[in-house]
Amino acid sequence: MKNRPVKVILWALFLGVLVFYPSLFGLYFTNIFVIFSIYALYATTFNYLLGYTGLLSFGHAMFFGIGGYGTAIALERIQGLPLLPAIIIGALAAVMLALILCPLLVRVSGTAFAMLTLAFGQLMHVLALKLRWLTGGEDGVGGFPIPPFHIPGVISLDITDPKKFYYFAMVVLALSMWVIWFFTKTPFGSIQTGIRDNPRRVEYLGFKLPHTKAVVFIISGGFAGVAGSIYALFQNLISADDAFGIGNSFAPIIMTVVGGIESFFGPIFGSAILSFIDELTSRYTERVEIVTGLILILVIMFAPKGFSGFLRFMRGKWLSPPNANPALEETK
Amino acid sequence: MNLLEIRGLYHDFSGLQVLFDVNLEVKEGERHAIIGPNGAGKTTLFNVITGSYRPPRGQIIFKGNDITGCKPHQLARLGIGRSFQITSSFSKLTAFQNIRMGILSKKGIRFNLVRNVDKMKEVTAETDEMLRRINLETEREIPAELLSYGKHRSLEVAMALSTEPELVMLDEPTAGMSKEETHYAIELIRRLTEGRTMLIIEHDMDVVFSLADRITVLHLGRVLATGSPQEIRENQQVKDAYLGETED
Repeated sequence: MKNRPVKVILWALFLGVLVFYPSLFGLYFTNIFVIFSIYALYATTFNYLLGYTGLLSFGHAMFFGIGGYGTAIALERIQGLPLLPAIIIGALAAVMLALILCPLLVRVSGTAFAMLTLAFGQLMHVLALKLRWLTGGEDGVGGFPIPPFHIPGVISLDITDPKKFYYFAMVVLALSMWVIWFFTKTPFGSIQTGIRDNPRRVEYLGFKLPHTKAVVFIISGGFAGVAGSIYALFQNLISADDAFGIGNSFAPIIMTVVGGIESFFGPIFGSAILSFIDELTSRYTERVEIVTGLILILVIMFAPKGFSGFLRFMRGKWLSPPNANPALEETK
Repeated sequence: MNLLEIRGLYHDFSGLQVLFDVNLEVKEGERHAIIGPNGAGKTTLFNVITGSYRPPRGQIIFKGNDITGCKPHQLARLGIGRSFQITSSFSKLTAFQNIRMGILSKKGIRFNLVRNVDKMKEVTAETDEMLRRINLETEREIPAELLSYGKHRSLEVAMALSTEPELVMLDEPTAGMSKEETHYAIELIRRLTEGRTMLIIEHDMDVVFSLADRITVLHLGRVLATGSPQEIRENQQVKDAYLGETED
Protein backbone atom coordinates (compact mmCIF):
# COMPACT_ATOMS: atom_id res chain seq x y z
CA MET A 1 0.00 0.00 0.00
CA LYS A 2 1.32 3.34 -1.07
CA ASN A 3 0.24 5.46 1.86
CA ARG A 4 1.61 3.13 4.47
CA PRO A 5 4.74 5.11 5.49
CA VAL A 6 2.68 8.28 5.71
CA LYS A 7 0.18 6.51 7.88
CA VAL A 8 2.84 5.12 10.21
CA ILE A 9 4.43 8.55 10.62
CA LEU A 10 1.08 10.18 11.32
CA TRP A 11 0.18 7.57 13.91
CA ALA A 12 3.60 7.86 15.56
CA LEU A 13 3.21 11.64 15.66
CA PHE A 14 -0.26 11.30 17.14
CA LEU A 15 1.00 8.87 19.76
CA GLY A 16 3.87 11.20 20.64
CA VAL A 17 1.50 14.11 21.14
CA LEU A 18 -0.73 11.87 23.29
CA VAL A 19 2.18 10.89 25.54
CA PHE A 20 3.53 14.42 26.04
CA TYR A 21 0.16 16.16 25.97
CA PRO A 22 -0.10 16.83 29.74
CA SER A 23 3.40 18.33 29.90
CA LEU A 24 2.82 20.37 26.76
CA PHE A 25 -0.60 21.83 27.47
CA GLY A 26 -0.96 21.81 31.24
CA LEU A 27 -3.59 20.51 33.58
CA TYR A 28 -6.58 22.46 32.31
CA PHE A 29 -6.35 21.23 28.75
CA THR A 30 -5.45 17.76 29.93
CA ASN A 31 -8.77 17.53 31.72
CA ILE A 32 -10.59 18.79 28.64
CA PHE A 33 -8.82 16.13 26.63
CA VAL A 34 -9.95 13.40 29.04
CA ILE A 35 -13.57 14.49 28.71
CA PHE A 36 -13.19 14.60 24.95
CA SER A 37 -11.77 11.06 24.92
CA ILE A 38 -14.56 9.72 27.11
CA TYR A 39 -17.11 11.16 24.72
CA ALA A 40 -15.12 9.92 21.75
CA LEU A 41 -15.53 6.35 23.01
CA TYR A 42 -19.15 6.97 23.91
CA ALA A 43 -19.92 8.36 20.45
CA THR A 44 -18.02 5.50 18.84
CA THR A 45 -20.22 2.95 20.61
CA PHE A 46 -23.23 4.92 19.42
CA ASN A 47 -22.01 4.88 15.84
CA TYR A 48 -21.39 1.14 16.15
CA LEU A 49 -25.19 0.96 16.33
CA LEU A 50 -26.12 3.71 13.88
CA GLY A 51 -23.36 3.82 11.29
CA TYR A 52 -22.58 0.12 11.20
CA THR A 53 -25.94 -1.49 11.89
CA GLY A 54 -28.43 1.23 11.01
CA LEU A 55 -30.00 1.40 14.46
CA LEU A 56 -30.74 4.91 15.70
CA SER A 57 -30.89 4.99 19.48
CA PHE A 58 -32.39 7.95 21.31
CA GLY A 59 -31.51 6.53 24.69
CA HIS A 60 -27.87 5.60 24.48
CA ALA A 61 -27.23 7.48 27.73
CA MET A 62 -28.80 4.59 29.64
CA PHE A 63 -25.67 2.52 29.01
CA PHE A 64 -23.30 5.39 29.73
CA GLY A 65 -25.23 6.18 32.90
CA ILE A 66 -25.57 2.67 34.23
CA GLY A 67 -21.84 2.14 33.61
CA GLY A 68 -21.08 5.25 35.66
CA TYR A 69 -23.49 4.34 38.44
CA GLY A 70 -22.30 0.75 38.45
CA THR A 71 -18.70 1.75 39.09
CA ALA A 72 -19.58 4.55 41.51
CA ILE A 73 -21.94 2.46 43.63
CA ALA A 74 -19.57 -0.50 43.64
CA LEU A 75 -16.72 1.65 44.91
CA GLU A 76 -18.97 3.31 47.47
CA ARG A 77 -20.45 0.09 48.87
CA ILE A 78 -17.68 -2.49 48.56
CA GLN A 79 -14.75 -1.82 50.86
CA GLY A 80 -11.34 -2.11 49.23
CA LEU A 81 -12.62 -2.91 45.74
CA PRO A 82 -9.75 -2.54 43.26
CA LEU A 83 -10.10 -0.27 40.26
CA LEU A 84 -10.33 -2.70 37.37
CA PRO A 85 -13.11 -4.84 38.90
CA ALA A 86 -14.99 -1.60 39.57
CA ILE A 87 -14.80 -0.66 35.90
CA ILE A 88 -15.75 -4.18 34.90
CA ILE A 89 -18.78 -3.98 37.22
CA GLY A 90 -19.80 -0.77 35.42
CA ALA A 91 -19.41 -2.38 32.01
CA LEU A 92 -21.23 -5.53 33.12
CA ALA A 93 -24.11 -3.45 34.45
CA ALA A 94 -24.44 -1.95 30.98
CA VAL A 95 -24.20 -5.40 29.40
CA MET A 96 -26.93 -6.67 31.76
CA LEU A 97 -29.16 -3.78 30.81
CA ALA A 98 -28.58 -4.50 27.13
CA LEU A 99 -29.32 -8.19 27.73
CA ILE A 100 -32.57 -7.37 29.49
CA LEU A 101 -33.73 -4.97 26.79
CA CYS A 102 -32.58 -6.78 23.69
CA PRO A 103 -35.35 -9.41 23.44
CA LEU A 104 -37.69 -6.49 22.85
CA LEU A 105 -35.43 -4.10 20.98
CA VAL A 106 -33.97 -6.50 18.41
CA ARG A 107 -37.40 -7.19 16.99
CA VAL A 108 -38.02 -3.60 15.96
CA SER A 109 -36.14 -1.12 13.83
CA GLY A 110 -36.41 2.44 12.56
CA THR A 111 -38.78 4.72 14.43
CA ALA A 112 -40.01 2.01 16.78
CA PHE A 113 -36.44 1.28 17.84
CA ALA A 114 -35.71 4.98 18.35
CA MET A 115 -38.86 5.51 20.42
CA LEU A 116 -38.35 2.41 22.56
CA THR A 117 -34.76 3.36 23.34
CA LEU A 118 -35.96 6.88 24.18
CA ALA A 119 -38.55 5.43 26.54
CA PHE A 120 -36.10 3.11 28.28
CA GLY A 121 -33.55 5.91 28.53
CA GLN A 122 -36.09 8.10 30.27
CA LEU A 123 -37.12 5.22 32.50
CA MET A 124 -33.52 4.86 33.64
CA HIS A 125 -33.41 8.58 34.36
CA VAL A 126 -36.51 8.32 36.54
CA LEU A 127 -35.15 5.25 38.31
CA ALA A 128 -31.90 7.08 39.07
CA LEU A 129 -33.91 9.92 40.57
CA LYS A 130 -36.31 7.76 42.56
CA LEU A 131 -34.18 4.93 43.92
CA ARG A 132 -32.57 7.29 46.43
CA TRP A 133 -31.27 4.57 48.75
CA LEU A 134 -29.13 3.32 45.88
CA THR A 135 -28.45 6.28 43.61
CA GLY A 136 -28.64 9.23 45.94
CA GLY A 137 -31.46 10.81 43.94
CA GLU A 138 -30.64 14.14 42.36
CA ASP A 139 -27.35 14.43 44.18
CA GLY A 140 -26.08 11.28 42.58
CA VAL A 141 -23.20 9.24 43.90
CA GLY A 142 -20.12 11.25 44.73
CA GLY A 143 -17.02 11.27 46.83
CA PHE A 144 -16.58 7.53 46.59
CA PRO A 145 -13.04 6.23 47.18
CA ILE A 146 -10.93 5.91 44.06
CA PRO A 147 -8.43 3.09 44.39
CA PRO A 148 -5.09 3.19 42.58
CA PHE A 149 -4.66 1.42 39.28
CA HIS A 150 -2.73 -1.53 40.58
CA ILE A 151 -1.47 -4.62 38.83
CA PRO A 152 0.79 -6.47 41.27
CA GLY A 153 4.38 -6.46 40.16
CA VAL A 154 3.68 -4.40 37.07
CA ILE A 155 2.28 -1.01 37.83
CA SER A 156 0.73 1.05 40.58
CA LEU A 157 -0.73 4.37 39.58
CA ASP A 158 -2.49 6.79 41.89
CA ILE A 159 -5.13 8.03 39.52
CA THR A 160 -6.39 10.79 41.80
CA ASP A 161 -3.49 12.70 40.33
CA PRO A 162 -5.00 14.26 37.17
CA LYS A 163 -1.92 13.65 35.08
CA LYS A 164 -1.83 9.99 36.00
CA PHE A 165 -5.55 9.72 35.48
CA TYR A 166 -5.00 11.03 31.98
CA TYR A 167 -2.61 8.19 31.13
CA PHE A 168 -4.84 5.61 32.74
CA ALA A 169 -7.93 6.89 30.94
CA MET A 170 -6.14 7.06 27.60
CA VAL A 171 -5.08 3.43 27.83
CA VAL A 172 -8.55 2.18 28.76
CA LEU A 173 -10.38 4.35 26.22
CA ALA A 174 -7.96 3.78 23.37
CA LEU A 175 -7.99 0.05 24.02
CA SER A 176 -11.80 0.02 24.01
CA MET A 177 -11.92 1.98 20.78
CA TRP A 178 -9.37 -0.33 19.21
CA VAL A 179 -11.45 -3.38 20.17
CA ILE A 180 -14.56 -1.84 18.61
CA TRP A 181 -12.57 -0.90 15.54
CA PHE A 182 -11.32 -4.47 15.26
CA PHE A 183 -14.85 -5.82 15.65
CA THR A 184 -15.92 -3.80 12.61
CA LYS A 185 -13.23 -5.59 10.59
CA THR A 186 -14.35 -9.11 11.52
CA PRO A 187 -16.85 -11.29 9.66
CA PHE A 188 -19.39 -10.23 12.26
CA GLY A 189 -18.75 -6.58 11.38
CA SER A 190 -19.35 -7.45 7.78
CA ILE A 191 -22.73 -8.99 8.59
CA GLN A 192 -23.55 -5.90 10.65
CA THR A 193 -23.13 -3.61 7.64
CA GLY A 194 -25.31 -6.02 5.72
CA ILE A 195 -28.07 -5.52 8.27
CA ARG A 196 -27.68 -1.77 7.87
CA ASP A 197 -28.10 -1.96 4.10
CA ASN A 198 -30.69 -4.71 3.77
CA PRO A 199 -31.86 -6.65 6.84
CA ARG A 200 -34.23 -8.84 4.83
CA ARG A 201 -31.50 -10.09 2.55
CA VAL A 202 -29.32 -10.92 5.53
CA GLU A 203 -32.04 -13.26 6.76
CA TYR A 204 -32.47 -14.88 3.37
CA LEU A 205 -28.74 -15.56 3.28
CA GLY A 206 -29.08 -17.60 6.47
CA PHE A 207 -28.20 -15.23 9.29
CA LYS A 208 -30.47 -14.96 12.29
CA LEU A 209 -31.30 -11.29 12.49
CA PRO A 210 -32.43 -10.88 16.12
CA HIS A 211 -29.43 -12.73 17.52
CA THR A 212 -26.97 -10.74 15.44
CA LYS A 213 -28.58 -7.46 16.44
CA ALA A 214 -28.55 -8.53 20.09
CA VAL A 215 -24.79 -9.10 20.01
CA VAL A 216 -24.27 -5.68 18.40
CA PHE A 217 -26.46 -4.11 21.04
CA ILE A 218 -24.60 -5.78 23.90
CA ILE A 219 -21.16 -4.79 22.56
CA SER A 220 -22.28 -1.21 22.00
CA GLY A 221 -23.92 -0.97 25.43
CA GLY A 222 -21.02 -2.60 27.24
CA PHE A 223 -18.43 -0.18 25.88
CA ALA A 224 -20.72 2.80 26.44
CA GLY A 225 -20.76 1.53 30.03
CA VAL A 226 -16.94 1.66 30.08
CA ALA A 227 -17.10 5.30 28.91
CA GLY A 228 -19.58 6.09 31.67
CA SER A 229 -17.46 4.29 34.22
CA ILE A 230 -14.36 6.35 33.33
CA TYR A 231 -16.52 9.47 33.42
CA ALA A 232 -17.67 8.69 36.97
CA LEU A 233 -14.08 8.06 38.06
CA PHE A 234 -12.89 11.27 36.46
CA GLN A 235 -15.53 13.45 38.12
CA ASN A 236 -15.61 11.33 41.26
CA LEU A 237 -19.33 11.92 40.89
CA ILE A 238 -22.19 10.63 38.81
CA SER A 239 -25.60 12.29 38.90
CA ALA A 240 -28.92 11.46 37.29
CA ASP A 241 -29.11 14.47 34.95
CA ASP A 242 -25.49 14.19 33.91
CA ALA A 243 -25.66 10.48 33.23
CA PHE A 244 -29.19 9.73 32.08
CA GLY A 245 -30.36 13.18 30.95
CA ILE A 246 -31.79 13.44 27.47
CA GLY A 247 -28.95 15.78 26.56
CA ASN A 248 -26.52 12.97 27.21
CA SER A 249 -28.43 10.73 24.81
CA PHE A 250 -28.32 13.37 22.12
CA ALA A 251 -24.65 14.25 22.58
CA PRO A 252 -23.38 11.17 20.71
CA ILE A 253 -25.98 11.70 17.99
CA ILE A 254 -24.75 15.24 17.38
CA MET A 255 -21.11 14.17 17.56
CA THR A 256 -21.66 11.36 15.10
CA VAL A 257 -23.56 13.54 12.64
CA VAL A 258 -21.01 16.37 12.85
CA GLY A 259 -18.07 14.00 12.64
CA GLY A 260 -19.48 11.80 9.93
CA ILE A 261 -21.62 8.70 10.18
CA GLU A 262 -19.91 6.73 7.44
CA SER A 263 -16.50 6.58 9.04
CA PHE A 264 -15.22 4.84 12.14
CA PHE A 265 -13.29 7.96 13.11
CA GLY A 266 -16.22 10.29 12.40
CA PRO A 267 -17.62 10.26 15.96
CA ILE A 268 -14.11 10.85 17.32
CA PHE A 269 -13.70 13.91 15.09
CA GLY A 270 -17.19 14.98 16.12
CA SER A 271 -16.36 14.67 19.78
CA ALA A 272 -13.19 16.72 19.24
CA ILE A 273 -14.99 19.44 17.30
CA LEU A 274 -17.78 19.74 19.84
CA SER A 275 -15.39 19.72 22.81
CA PHE A 276 -13.46 22.50 21.13
CA ILE A 277 -16.59 24.54 20.42
CA ASP A 278 -17.87 23.93 23.91
CA GLU A 279 -14.60 25.13 25.40
CA LEU A 280 -14.46 28.19 23.17
CA THR A 281 -18.05 29.37 23.46
CA SER A 282 -18.47 28.68 27.15
CA ARG A 283 -16.01 31.53 27.78
CA TYR A 284 -18.49 34.00 26.34
CA THR A 285 -21.90 32.53 26.93
CA GLU A 286 -23.68 29.85 28.90
CA ARG A 287 -25.86 28.99 25.95
CA VAL A 288 -23.43 26.62 24.29
CA GLU A 289 -26.33 24.66 22.79
CA ILE A 290 -27.18 27.58 20.50
CA VAL A 291 -23.79 27.31 18.82
CA THR A 292 -23.83 23.51 18.82
CA GLY A 293 -27.32 23.49 17.32
CA LEU A 294 -26.33 25.97 14.65
CA ILE A 295 -23.35 23.86 13.68
CA LEU A 296 -25.52 20.75 13.56
CA ILE A 297 -27.92 22.49 11.17
CA LEU A 298 -25.09 23.74 8.98
CA VAL A 299 -23.50 20.30 8.81
CA ILE A 300 -26.78 18.61 7.91
CA MET A 301 -27.47 21.20 5.22
CA PHE A 302 -24.07 21.58 3.65
CA ALA A 303 -21.98 18.57 4.65
CA PRO A 304 -24.33 15.65 5.28
CA LYS A 305 -21.39 13.28 5.46
CA GLY A 306 -19.89 15.27 8.29
CA PHE A 307 -16.29 16.17 8.93
CA SER A 308 -14.87 12.83 7.81
CA GLY A 309 -16.86 13.10 4.59
CA PHE A 310 -15.31 16.53 4.09
CA LEU A 311 -11.85 15.11 4.78
CA ARG A 312 -12.38 12.33 2.27
CA PHE A 313 -13.59 14.86 -0.27
CA MET A 314 -10.46 16.98 0.23
CA ARG A 315 -8.19 13.96 0.07
CA GLY A 316 -9.87 12.84 -3.12
CA LYS A 317 -9.30 16.28 -4.56
CA TRP A 318 -5.68 16.86 -3.59
CA LEU A 319 -4.00 13.63 -2.70
CA SER A 320 -5.27 10.63 -4.61
CA PRO A 321 -3.62 9.88 -7.94
CA PRO A 322 -5.99 10.33 -10.87
CA ASN A 323 -7.51 7.19 -12.35
CA ALA A 324 -6.63 5.13 -9.32
CA ASN A 325 -9.53 2.90 -10.24
CA PRO A 326 -10.80 3.64 -13.73
CA ALA A 327 -13.82 1.39 -13.34
CA LEU A 328 -14.86 3.29 -10.26
CA GLU A 329 -14.35 6.67 -11.90
CA GLU A 330 -16.45 5.55 -14.80
CA THR A 331 -19.45 4.67 -12.72
CA LYS A 332 -19.34 7.97 -10.91
CA MET B 1 -36.93 -37.99 -6.39
CA ASN B 2 -38.69 -34.80 -5.42
CA LEU B 3 -36.48 -32.16 -3.82
CA LEU B 4 -39.41 -29.84 -3.19
CA GLU B 5 -43.00 -30.83 -2.89
CA ILE B 6 -45.95 -28.55 -2.27
CA ARG B 7 -49.27 -30.05 -1.25
CA GLY B 8 -52.59 -28.24 -1.19
CA LEU B 9 -51.13 -24.83 -0.49
CA TYR B 10 -53.45 -21.89 0.19
CA HIS B 11 -52.58 -18.32 0.99
CA ASP B 12 -54.50 -15.11 1.47
CA PHE B 13 -53.76 -11.52 2.37
CA SER B 14 -56.35 -10.54 4.98
CA GLY B 15 -59.19 -12.10 3.04
CA LEU B 16 -57.86 -11.66 -0.46
CA GLN B 17 -57.28 -15.21 -1.66
CA VAL B 18 -54.03 -15.42 -3.63
CA LEU B 19 -53.19 -19.12 -3.80
CA PHE B 20 -55.74 -21.93 -4.15
CA ASP B 21 -54.81 -25.53 -3.59
CA VAL B 22 -51.39 -25.24 -5.23
CA ASN B 23 -49.60 -28.53 -5.82
CA LEU B 24 -46.08 -28.57 -7.17
CA GLU B 25 -43.27 -31.03 -7.45
CA VAL B 26 -39.72 -30.07 -8.21
CA LYS B 27 -37.53 -33.04 -9.05
CA GLU B 28 -33.91 -33.16 -8.05
CA GLY B 29 -31.68 -31.66 -10.73
CA GLU B 30 -34.42 -30.21 -12.89
CA ARG B 31 -34.95 -26.66 -14.03
CA HIS B 32 -38.52 -25.88 -13.23
CA ALA B 33 -40.14 -22.68 -14.43
CA ILE B 34 -43.26 -21.02 -13.08
CA ILE B 35 -45.09 -18.87 -15.55
CA GLY B 36 -48.34 -17.00 -15.40
CA PRO B 37 -49.83 -13.59 -16.03
CA ASN B 38 -49.34 -10.71 -13.63
CA GLY B 39 -51.15 -11.27 -10.36
CA ALA B 40 -51.17 -15.05 -10.79
CA GLY B 41 -49.50 -15.44 -7.39
CA LYS B 42 -46.02 -16.44 -8.55
CA THR B 43 -44.06 -14.21 -6.22
CA THR B 44 -46.44 -14.98 -3.36
CA LEU B 45 -45.77 -18.66 -3.92
CA PHE B 46 -42.03 -17.93 -3.75
CA ASN B 47 -42.47 -15.92 -0.60
CA VAL B 48 -44.48 -18.66 1.07
CA ILE B 49 -41.90 -21.28 0.14
CA THR B 50 -38.99 -19.20 1.43
CA GLY B 51 -40.66 -18.35 4.72
CA SER B 52 -41.80 -14.74 4.29
CA TYR B 53 -45.37 -15.79 5.02
CA ARG B 54 -46.82 -18.70 6.88
CA PRO B 55 -49.53 -20.35 4.80
CA PRO B 56 -52.92 -20.97 6.47
CA ARG B 57 -53.25 -24.37 4.78
CA GLY B 58 -51.00 -26.75 2.95
CA GLN B 59 -47.66 -28.38 3.28
CA ILE B 60 -44.21 -27.64 1.94
CA ILE B 61 -41.83 -30.59 1.89
CA PHE B 62 -38.12 -30.10 1.22
CA LYS B 63 -35.86 -33.15 1.06
CA GLY B 64 -38.60 -35.16 2.74
CA ASN B 65 -38.93 -32.77 5.71
CA ASP B 66 -41.93 -30.60 6.39
CA ILE B 67 -40.65 -27.02 6.25
CA THR B 68 -44.00 -25.25 6.39
CA GLY B 69 -43.68 -22.17 8.57
CA CYS B 70 -39.90 -22.23 8.85
CA LYS B 71 -38.14 -18.86 9.04
CA PRO B 72 -36.13 -17.50 6.08
CA HIS B 73 -32.78 -18.00 7.81
CA GLN B 74 -33.62 -21.62 8.68
CA LEU B 75 -34.57 -22.34 5.09
CA ALA B 76 -31.39 -20.71 3.85
CA ARG B 77 -29.40 -22.99 6.13
CA LEU B 78 -31.36 -26.04 4.94
CA GLY B 79 -30.28 -25.26 1.40
CA ILE B 80 -32.79 -22.96 -0.25
CA GLY B 81 -31.34 -19.83 -1.83
CA ARG B 82 -33.40 -17.19 -3.52
CA SER B 83 -33.10 -14.00 -5.50
CA PHE B 84 -35.59 -11.16 -5.64
CA GLN B 85 -37.62 -9.64 -8.41
CA ILE B 86 -36.67 -6.17 -7.21
CA THR B 87 -32.89 -6.15 -6.81
CA SER B 88 -32.15 -6.57 -3.15
CA SER B 89 -28.43 -6.22 -2.62
CA PHE B 90 -26.40 -4.48 0.07
CA SER B 91 -26.34 -1.18 -1.73
CA LYS B 92 -23.43 0.54 0.00
CA LEU B 93 -21.22 -2.54 0.09
CA THR B 94 -18.97 -3.45 -2.81
CA ALA B 95 -19.77 -6.26 -5.22
CA PHE B 96 -17.10 -8.29 -3.44
CA GLN B 97 -18.60 -7.67 0.00
CA ASN B 98 -22.06 -8.56 -1.28
CA ILE B 99 -20.95 -11.96 -2.47
CA ARG B 100 -18.79 -12.50 0.60
CA MET B 101 -21.87 -12.27 2.78
CA GLY B 102 -23.20 -15.43 1.15
CA ILE B 103 -19.83 -17.19 1.34
CA LEU B 104 -19.62 -16.41 5.08
CA SER B 105 -23.08 -17.87 5.57
CA LYS B 106 -22.21 -20.98 3.60
CA LYS B 107 -19.17 -21.53 5.80
CA GLY B 108 -21.27 -21.00 8.92
CA ILE B 109 -19.19 -17.97 9.96
CA ARG B 110 -21.78 -15.95 11.84
CA PHE B 111 -20.46 -14.66 15.14
CA ASN B 112 -16.74 -14.52 14.49
CA LEU B 113 -15.37 -11.49 16.33
CA VAL B 114 -11.72 -12.52 16.51
CA ARG B 115 -10.48 -12.58 12.93
CA ASN B 116 -10.01 -9.92 10.30
CA VAL B 117 -12.39 -10.91 7.56
CA ASP B 118 -10.14 -9.45 4.85
CA LYS B 119 -7.41 -11.83 5.91
CA MET B 120 -9.54 -14.97 5.64
CA LYS B 121 -7.91 -16.34 2.51
CA GLU B 122 -10.40 -19.08 1.73
CA VAL B 123 -13.37 -16.74 1.99
CA THR B 124 -11.65 -14.20 -0.25
CA ALA B 125 -10.68 -16.83 -2.80
CA GLU B 126 -14.19 -18.27 -3.01
CA THR B 127 -15.71 -14.81 -3.29
CA ASP B 128 -13.33 -13.86 -6.08
CA GLU B 129 -14.09 -17.14 -7.83
CA MET B 130 -17.80 -16.29 -7.82
CA LEU B 131 -17.08 -12.75 -9.07
CA ARG B 132 -15.05 -14.25 -11.87
CA ARG B 133 -17.86 -16.60 -12.85
CA ILE B 134 -20.29 -13.71 -13.21
CA ASN B 135 -17.71 -11.51 -14.98
CA LEU B 136 -17.67 -8.89 -12.28
CA GLU B 137 -13.95 -8.97 -11.48
CA THR B 138 -13.33 -5.43 -12.65
CA GLU B 139 -16.27 -4.20 -10.59
CA ARG B 140 -14.96 -5.90 -7.45
CA GLU B 141 -14.59 -2.69 -5.44
CA ILE B 142 -17.64 -0.85 -6.75
CA PRO B 143 -20.59 -0.34 -4.40
CA ALA B 144 -23.57 -2.37 -5.56
CA GLU B 145 -25.74 0.71 -5.96
CA LEU B 146 -23.35 2.09 -8.60
CA LEU B 147 -23.34 -1.03 -10.77
CA SER B 148 -25.09 -0.94 -14.13
CA TYR B 149 -28.54 -2.52 -14.13
CA GLY B 150 -27.51 -5.72 -15.87
CA LYS B 151 -24.51 -6.24 -13.62
CA HIS B 152 -26.55 -5.49 -10.54
CA ARG B 153 -28.98 -8.22 -11.63
CA SER B 154 -26.08 -10.63 -12.12
CA LEU B 155 -24.96 -9.81 -8.61
CA GLU B 156 -28.46 -10.50 -7.33
CA VAL B 157 -28.45 -13.97 -8.85
CA ALA B 158 -24.89 -14.65 -7.71
CA MET B 159 -25.82 -13.79 -4.13
CA ALA B 160 -28.58 -16.38 -4.23
CA LEU B 161 -26.05 -18.92 -5.47
CA SER B 162 -23.21 -17.90 -3.18
CA THR B 163 -24.50 -20.05 -0.32
CA GLU B 164 -24.42 -23.05 -2.69
CA PRO B 165 -28.04 -23.96 -2.12
CA GLU B 166 -29.48 -27.27 -3.22
CA LEU B 167 -32.55 -25.48 -4.47
CA VAL B 168 -32.05 -22.17 -6.26
CA MET B 169 -35.13 -20.00 -6.54
CA LEU B 170 -34.90 -17.09 -8.96
CA ASP B 171 -37.71 -14.57 -9.07
CA GLU B 172 -37.72 -13.01 -12.52
CA PRO B 173 -33.96 -12.67 -12.86
CA THR B 174 -34.37 -10.88 -16.19
CA ALA B 175 -37.01 -8.37 -15.06
CA GLY B 176 -36.50 -5.03 -16.73
CA MET B 177 -33.73 -6.22 -19.00
CA SER B 178 -33.36 -5.57 -22.70
CA LYS B 179 -33.48 -8.50 -25.12
CA GLU B 180 -29.70 -8.56 -25.30
CA GLU B 181 -29.21 -8.37 -21.55
CA THR B 182 -31.80 -11.10 -21.08
CA HIS B 183 -29.94 -13.37 -23.44
CA TYR B 184 -26.70 -12.77 -21.57
CA ALA B 185 -28.34 -13.26 -18.18
CA ILE B 186 -29.94 -16.53 -19.17
CA GLU B 187 -26.65 -17.92 -20.45
CA LEU B 188 -25.13 -16.89 -17.14
CA ILE B 189 -27.88 -18.57 -15.16
CA ARG B 190 -27.62 -21.70 -17.26
CA ARG B 191 -23.90 -21.87 -16.55
CA LEU B 192 -24.13 -21.06 -12.85
CA THR B 193 -26.93 -23.48 -12.05
CA GLU B 194 -25.34 -26.40 -13.87
CA GLY B 195 -26.24 -29.54 -11.94
CA ARG B 196 -28.43 -27.70 -9.46
CA THR B 197 -32.14 -27.80 -8.92
CA MET B 198 -33.73 -24.53 -9.92
CA LEU B 199 -37.15 -23.01 -9.60
CA ILE B 200 -37.49 -19.90 -11.70
CA ILE B 201 -40.20 -17.34 -12.33
CA GLU B 202 -39.90 -15.90 -15.80
CA HIS B 203 -42.00 -13.83 -18.15
CA ASP B 204 -40.07 -14.20 -21.37
CA MET B 205 -41.56 -17.24 -23.13
CA ASP B 206 -38.52 -17.81 -25.34
CA VAL B 207 -36.39 -17.97 -22.23
CA VAL B 208 -38.75 -20.31 -20.44
CA PHE B 209 -39.07 -22.75 -23.29
CA SER B 210 -35.35 -22.87 -23.91
CA LEU B 211 -34.25 -23.07 -20.28
CA ALA B 212 -36.81 -25.13 -18.41
CA ASP B 213 -37.09 -28.91 -18.17
CA ARG B 214 -40.58 -28.61 -16.80
CA ILE B 215 -43.05 -25.77 -16.55
CA THR B 216 -45.89 -25.01 -14.17
CA VAL B 217 -48.49 -22.51 -15.25
CA LEU B 218 -50.11 -20.50 -12.50
CA HIS B 219 -53.30 -18.61 -13.24
CA LEU B 220 -55.37 -16.66 -10.71
CA GLY B 221 -53.68 -18.51 -7.87
CA ARG B 222 -54.32 -21.99 -9.25
CA VAL B 223 -52.08 -24.43 -11.05
CA LEU B 224 -53.39 -24.64 -14.58
CA ALA B 225 -50.96 -27.21 -15.88
CA THR B 226 -47.60 -28.80 -15.27
CA GLY B 227 -45.49 -30.51 -17.84
CA SER B 228 -42.64 -30.41 -20.29
CA PRO B 229 -42.30 -27.31 -22.50
CA GLN B 230 -43.82 -29.31 -25.36
CA GLU B 231 -46.86 -30.34 -23.31
CA ILE B 232 -47.39 -26.80 -22.09
CA ARG B 233 -47.16 -25.41 -25.58
CA GLU B 234 -49.88 -27.76 -26.72
CA ASN B 235 -52.16 -27.41 -23.71
CA GLN B 236 -55.41 -25.82 -24.79
CA GLN B 237 -56.22 -24.41 -21.34
CA VAL B 238 -52.86 -22.70 -21.15
CA LYS B 239 -53.27 -21.30 -24.62
CA ASP B 240 -56.64 -19.84 -23.69
CA ALA B 241 -55.52 -18.37 -20.42
CA TYR B 242 -52.10 -17.12 -21.20
CA LEU B 243 -50.10 -17.99 -24.23
CA GLY B 244 -52.78 -16.91 -26.65
CA GLU B 245 -52.72 -13.41 -25.27
CA THR B 246 -49.04 -12.89 -25.78
CA GLU B 247 -49.23 -13.97 -29.39
CA ASP B 248 -51.66 -11.21 -30.29
